[in-house]
Amino acid sequence: MSQDELTTDGNPIAGWFNGQLSRRELMRRMAVFGLAVPSVAALIEACGGSTATGQVHVPSSSTKGSLTIWGWKDSLEALKLQDADFTAAYPGISYTYVPRPPADTYRNLELAITAGSGGPDVALIEDSHLTAYVQLGAMADLTDLVGPYVDQIDSYKWDWTKKGSRYFAMPWDPGPVAVFYRRDVFQQAGVDPASMATWDDFHQAAQTIKEKTGLAMWQQSKARNDGRLFETLLWQQGTGYVDSKGHVILDKDPKVATTLEYINSFWQEGLAADQEAWTNPWYKAQTDGTTATVVDAVWMGTFFKSWIAPKANGKWGVFPLPAWKRGGSQASNDGGSALAIFDSSQQKEAAWAYVQFHLGRPASQLQIYEKTDIFPSLKATYKDPFFQEPDPYFGDETVRNTFAHIAELIPKAGIYSKDYAQMNTLLVPEIQKLALGQQSVQAALSNAAGLIRDKTHRA
Amino acid sequence: MRTAMPGEAALDWRPGGRRLIRADAWRHGLWRHRWPLLFVSPFFILFAVFNIYPIGFSFWLSLNDWSGLGSMDWIGLDNYRELIHDSIFWNSMANSAIIFFIYVPVMTFMAAVLASILNGAFLKLQGLWRALIFLPNITSMVAAGYTFRLILDRDSGIANHALAWLHVSPVPWLDDIWWARISLGLLMIWAWLGYNTVIMLAGLQTIPSEVIEAARVDGATRVQAFFRITLPLLRPVIVFAVTLSIIGTFSMFTEPYVLTRGGPVNATDTPVQEIFSNTFEDLRFGYAAAMSYVYFAIIVVVTLAQFWFVSRSDPVK
Repeated sequence: MSQDELTTDGNPIAGWFNGQLSRRELMRRMAVFGLAVPSVAALIEACGGSTATGQVHVPSSSTKGSLTIWGWKDSLEALKLQDADFTAAYPGISYTYVPRPPADTYRNLELAITAGSGGPDVALIEDSHLTAYVQLGAMADLTDLVGPYVDQIDSYKWDWTKKGSRYFAMPWDPGPVAVFYRRDVFQQAGVDPASMATWDDFHQAAQTIKEKTGLAMWQQSKARNDGRLFETLLWQQGTGYVDSKGHVILDKDPKVATTLEYINSFWQEGLAADQEAWTNPWYKAQTDGTTATVVDAVWMGTFFKSWIAPKANGKWGVFPLPAWKRGGSQASNDGGSALAIFDSSQQKEAAWAYVQFHLGRPASQLQIYEKTDIFPSLKATYKDPFFQEPDPYFGDETVRNTFAHIAELIPKAGIYSKDYAQMNTLLVPEIQKLALGQQSVQAALSNAAGLIRDKTHRA
Repeated sequence: MRTAMPGEAALDWRPGGRRLIRADAWRHGLWRHRWPLLFVSPFFILFAVFNIYPIGFSFWLSLNDWSGLGSMDWIGLDNYRELIHDSIFWNSMANSAIIFFIYVPVMTFMAAVLASILNGAFLKLQGLWRALIFLPNITSMVAAGYTFRLILDRDSGIANHALAWLHVSPVPWLDDIWWARISLGLLMIWAWLGYNTVIMLAGLQTIPSEVIEAARVDGATRVQAFFRITLPLLRPVIVFAVTLSIIGTFSMFTEPYVLTRGGPVNATDTPVQEIFSNTFEDLRFGYAAAMSYVYFAIIVVVTLAQFWFVSRSDPVK
């Protein structure tokens, strides 16, 4: 069954003429028609020599292997939901999960890469870090295998799985961003969430809410800002640290300056609460509903429901990001992850069977989403009735549909790259200095751009 | 050319003969001491593998560009050239110097005072006090760092709650460039005061009590005796403690990494945090190795300069 899903629509002649087939795949398809006799196969193997390095072959139900899978707890627990079905389909493949927090997973990946051994077969990697590993050449080339999925998955997700025109990972969850807002706060201030068409509207609403309720519109730490909101708002406009050529544009693209100016105006006018993300005061304001909005990705809703504000049933709502210009983009991304196969793995077929089974089947992805709220990027799932169901936590809005719609529209942007972590580290102190009133927007951007050019050797 | 005298070793007439005999003696000595050498060898083998080899390898690394995977590219002194213009690295050096002046004078003075109190015969339960003062030094720094972060949180920390109770306005402990450095200094004092006190105490015990008793008999107060007699006699020990503090401050890692993550605005970023992030976050092993070498050279120079300065102005000499 899994093989049929690999070829488009289970049709053995699909892709026959496109010249993209691997030799093993060709053999397999010939076998379907009874064409591949052993001698022919041996001949082709003999003439072709060894297969291209890093190329992975299509697994079958008799594929054997014993896989090691690295990742972090929540996501691994989600993958485990498919294990019973997977074992039924591939009885010869066993696997061990190694859960560690993301930072520890990366340290261990780097150590394994440097040492040249000790790595996993399959690794869960955040999109923000994926390009660095792909560029290092540490991941297996999956081009022929992920081919059928390129059109089936949110297109922006492929950006950091690629090196040149080759693919080295299989996308999992996207991070579509929207505005989570407290209904009671908006109501008390007399602001209609449906009227948030542009960021100017949002700014005016922030002033009204401050006036009427005394509450801040959003939570943005000054001295310990992490730059995530800034990145999200740049992403929405298809811009970022770098352009499509990889040149630094922080100090060149006027949209970048406008965005930072906008965020800064909230600090200057007292419309932002000075609370560091992921710390107790930040959680508390969300639990108590003393922040009017939280601009974050779909996974934030999961956190609200499960542990930040489990008692706030019906108190939160969701609307898409306001546009910068009326009718402009309202979609952005924050976070997201993928599964990659380590190039040093000796069991790439089995590893691909695992990745494909867990991420490439709508049934798997839907079940994972329903049980764990990890959002799928496989577009076929968005048509499931589950996405049209009202969500009582969000006052019976069809928020899943809202996020699915956003996920399909996320633009390509120059945020995540092989130097993302470094660029963020260099930018963040400049934003902090701005927030503390010690430098201008222009100075912050030109300082950050200069440092990034120096450190990452970019134009 | 001379002929061999009777009785002289037959080998010795050849050029280099002496050396040969020495090599023989050396070999003979090795054999004679084989058992003791065997028993001390584990240390030297481990030292060579885990210390000498990495030190040599990182120098080699500092002349290369390497991301941890694939080939190393020889780039000569390029890493060092880049480092000269690296404002973030020099800022981290400057931070260490600033933080040093914030806490080391205070801590050293407190340690001297505490040590002389603990040394006094009038104090009861000396062992208990000594243990209590030393206790923070053996506490896990990660745990202590997180605790300090909770205590010093601007909105929810008990430090600001206590200040509010005293009608003092809240202090942005970790949210202001200078306060963050002071907070880091407080953590350093908390963790290292006991250690320095123990060093001072050891020094005090070498000072004959007659000297201080004589001063007291001559009418000096306890405070006068401390400043005029104890401190000058303690001088070499203080120099030693300050030298350790210089090295300790420039190699701070866990304390700022846990307490402030180097922020805000890189105000508590330290050289070792930079070396760490260049290695493990940016995967620039060669550049980080160059950083380590420059950092090491600077610490050596600063320490030697301090020794020179102190020995030159030593009143006892």
